[in-house]
Amino acid sequence: MKRELERVEIPDEHGARERAWAVLSSAFAKRTPASRRSLHWRPALALAVVLALVAAAFSSPGKGVVDRIRKTVGIEHAAPALFSLPSPGKLLVRTDAGVWVVQRNGSRRFLGGYREASWSPFGRFLVAARTNELAAIEPNGDVRWTLARPGVRLPSWGGTRTDTQIAYLSGRSLRVVAGDGTGDRVGCARRVARVAPAWQPGAPRVLAVAAHSGSVRVYSVDTCRLLWHSKPGPVPTKLEWSSDGHRLLVLAPPGLRVYDARGRLLAEDRPPNPARDADATFVGPENYGVVGIRVRGGQSNIFAPRTLFHARGSLRQVTASPDGRWLLITWPTANQWIFVRADGKRIRAISNASSQFESGTFPKVEGWAR
Amino acid sequence: MRAARDERARVRGAQRGSASDLEALFRMHWPRALRAAYLVTHDAQAAEDIAQESFLAAIRALDTFDRRRPFGPWLHRIVVNRAIDWSRARRLRSEVELGELVAASEEQPELADETLAALARLAPEHRAVVVMRYLLEFTPGEIAEALDLPRGTVNSRLRRGLDTLAEEL
Repeated sequence: MKRELERVEIPDEHGARERAWAVLSSAFAKRTPASRRSLHWRPALALAVVLALVAAAFSSPGKGVVDRIRKTVGIEHAAPALFSLPSPGKLLVRTDAGVWVVQRNGSRRFLGGYREASWSPFGRFLVAARTNELAAIEPNGDVRWTLARPGVRLPSWGGTRTDTQIAYLSGRSLRVVAGDGTGDRVGCARRVARVAPAWQPGAPRVLAVAAHSGSVRVYSVDTCRLLWHSKPGPVPTKLEWSSDGHRLLVLAPPGLRVYDARGRLLAEDRPPNPARDADATFVGPENYGVVGIRVRGGQSNIFAPRTLFHARGSLRQVTASPDGRWLLITWPTANQWIFVRADGKRIRAISNASSQFESGTFPKVEGWAR
Repeated sequence: MRAARDERARVRGAQRGSASDLEALFRMHWPRALRAAYLVTHDAQAAEDIAQESFLAAIRALDTFDRRRPFGPWLHRIVVNRAIDWSRARRLRSEVELGELVAASEEQPELADETLAALARLAPEHRAVVVMRYLLEFTPGEIAEALDLPRGTVNSRLRRGLDTLAEEL
């Protein structure tokens, strides 16, 4: 079998080797060898404690144990750095300094001083915003194109294999540009709320935006036909389609709503005052489950719908891995990132989240792509 | 044993900035990295990108690489996982290149090679297991760890893969 596999002819094998070496040697020449950090130390004891915490955390009688063990805020013996992601894919992270890409193996690349960014629909590129510039960038930092526009905010990239589109805000107006940077134009709504628009997967050029009234409006962007809209209410802070485009999650604190693709309200969460839903995302194999963060006073819970994780202070964000198997929960109070498997059976904590990105502020996760 | 020592020395040299040591590592591991990616993806361009990106990732992570670990399996693990991701993405939803708005053909290329054609009958995840076992010489336990799969799943994929290949070849 080995012989069979080794004799398969690879087209242009020699050329590929030479091209690769040219790229690698150039990248290596630009690299500054860092002072050696030892990874030899594997905190076996810490791991055992974390596993014990996990085992305890996800059984009701154990929760008290967790709370007792957790004497200070944060999971003790968390990994001192983000050595790797627990699931395939790459993270897009924003700090006060700009935008970073984190690869599965934990390597981090600073892309520049952008203030917001999001992945292209299949994770091969990303779009980032500076004050007066929109830029399409490769994860290795190469800029493919830029577009100068005033007050650029909250870009969102969607579309199909042959036709991708980017929606973004310029001041209070919605604008749309093709994925190759051409055809920039005013979108369908001139005064929109400051929340990232969301392209519906599987339905080319259908876009959900939030109006100032709190109403969610879904347009066919080519014709600007309004396909449906919700009633006015609290202004949304997040719009997210399920991966198949059949559900729309609208986070509008204090609560959240889930609509189907025709605008029918399927589910609504209205937490009792003074609790509020701080973030939520679709998760699970069908991508129809909703996992959310509920904050009440100085306590936070991740519910899905049972409590997966309980913390002192504020949990800020929850992001699902591309395969839906893991959740990344950010915990500014503890300056930690917590990876929790969606079935609640495993947990990994990373301490010093801010210093991972050389930032004075707590890093914000902009997306987790394949 | 000597090869392992030599590889460790090359890694140490590359960590200190030696381009010749990096080149030695590249010459040592590129052929298998490219071949593994190609056998999983069946796309020469993608395989080149995947192998190249994996080496770039390795360079970026060089400073934190634990020299006691063998470099090759670490690199090949990155390659195979990326190749699987790429194959899944292409199967489910591929994405146009920026600036290339001409639709690429969805059709699979005709595979002249008998082995390649036989491998094409397997899902990418199954191909990856076969490639890791028989080309990269991982043990089933190492494959299970690298792909985050239960050991039983690895064994059943190997069995099914071999059965399919035996029928075809």
